[in-house]
Amino acid sequence: MDVRFDGVSVRRSGREVLHGATVQFAPGRVTALLGPNGAGKTTMLRLIAGLERATAGQVLIGDTPVRAGTTSPHVAYAFQSAVFLAGSLANNLELALRFRSVPPAERATRVREAAAATGIAELLGRDARRLSGGEAQRANLARALAMRAPVTLLDEPLSGLDAPGRRQLLHELPALLRAFGTTAIVVTHDRDEALRLADALVVLLDGKVRAQGPRAEVFGSPPNAATARFLGYTLLPGEGGELIGVAPRALRPGPGEVELEMQVDDVLDLGVRAEAWGTVRGVPVSVSLRAGERAEGAIVVSAARAAVTRFRE
Amino acid sequence: MDAIWEGLREAIRLIASGDAQLREIALRTVLVSGGATLLAMAVGVPLGYGLARTRFPGRTLILGAVNTGMGVPPVVVGLVVWLMLVRSGPFGPMELIYTKRAMVIAQFVIATPLVVGFTAAAIQALPREFPDLLTVLRAGPLTRFWLTVREAQLGIMVAVMAGFGAVVSEVGASMTVGGNINGQTRVITTAIVTETARGETAGAMALGIILLAITFAVTLLLTALQQRRAR
Repeated sequence: MDVRFDGVSVRRSGREVLHGATVQFAPGRVTALLGPNGAGKTTMLRLIAGLERATAGQVLIGDTPVRAGTTSPHVAYAFQSAVFLAGSLANNLELALRFRSVPPAERATRVREAAAATGIAELLGRDARRLSGGEAQRANLARALAMRAPVTLLDEPLSGLDAPGRRQLLHELPALLRAFGTTAIVVTHDRDEALRLADALVVLLDGKVRAQGPRAEVFGSPPNAATARFLGYTLLPGEGGELIGVAPRALRPGPGEVELEMQVDDVLDLGVRAEAWGTVRGVPVSVSLRAGERAEGAIVVSAARAAVTRFRE
Repeated sequence: MDAIWEGLREAIRLIASGDAQLREIALRTVLVSGGATLLAMAVGVPLGYGLARTRFPGRTLILGAVNTGMGVPPVVVGLVVWLMLVRSGPFGPMELIYTKRAMVIAQFVIATPLVVGFTAAAIQALPREFPDLLTVLRAGPLTRFWLTVREAQLGIMVAVMAGFGAVVSEVGASMTVGGNINGQTRVITTAIVTETARGETAGAMALGIILLAITFAVTLLLTALQQRRAR
């Protein structure tokens, strides 16, 4: 089931938190809604869930406009902070299914499956409000997955997890979402997380949709300098106000297709490799050196032509 | 100090002897104040929920009025209710003045703002995402109300304790609308006033100790329930 934003704006306390967003989330795909804190990502999820009222435009799930104040039965939503009601985890996971008139036998199966998929099967009998941060985050995800809704909204699903837990879920979550066949919209401010989780990216900056499309397309050739900067590109001043964007980790020491001069300030030797820091045209950059490779004063660094995008803004 | 010890001895003697008049006054006190508190809960909890969960023009004004109502002197409430129920008042034909019902009405008016105010505060103290969670789960209006009250029950228990504590200990309203009629509308607080006026300080002290014991017993019961839920 697809989700569309048609010129949607949200104004709150005199500030426009979302500005004329027009986006299409493809059915059955995982889309990362990527942007810094306060960009309007959660506002977009809340609009889809009917928790927020648009001041202009409309949000459609399939062909049905979203009604503020009511969540469509087609939508499951895992909030950023996991909130549970009094009772066992199993009761909490089951509750949403009960309110959606799922028969009892089916409810038990779905709860078991979602708990197993998120690795919390052994916690089902525990008091939901006494789970650790990581367990609660997995339970939060399990509750959304148990609904098996055509549209699943996940707000920062990996926040609050420790590093190993985060790595594991980052590995498991994309397959899990694809297996459920849901249109998943995952909010994150982490570029690497977005690239690992999603098929498509929507980049939101200051309440404006600045880029959208398949992840390789958006990441490989960002449509504007603001998106490139947020995606970790190094932006260098070029000719006549032009900006040269170099993709993250694309700069290498030595000659190549696009050559630049780097002033080396400092080198950290890590044994197997070294890291050189300095500036290119006054912009701070860093490059990795191979073992034994030396860098002092002015050196030549380069990037492949495909890793360089030029912007006029 | 002697009066206190004498009062304590008298209280024990009265309780041990199973004094019929004392039993009757104590029972009336519990029934009137308990009834008023139950009514205040029935009205105050939904109102507190409504105030906590809805946004409308004038909401802050109403919350301000409720909070003011929490501190209105019972004797003033008694006076207003008396003016309503007295024979020449708008509800005079109902012949409620100087009856237990009149006392329940006055105590209900005293307890309700406390129950509304504490309930609204307890519900507003729930996690910010809580109402959104209920919307996303697609809980119906009655289920939303029930689940919210269940989650806020610790605070709502405080509301009930505050409401009962306020009405069981007030004297002004009960005296004004009940008339302190022996065998009919006399409750412990009004009986204390009568005993004191008669110079029967030991008897007044004894009644005071019994009132404290009743209040403590009811509050202890509610506290035990509250703490069991908190575990």
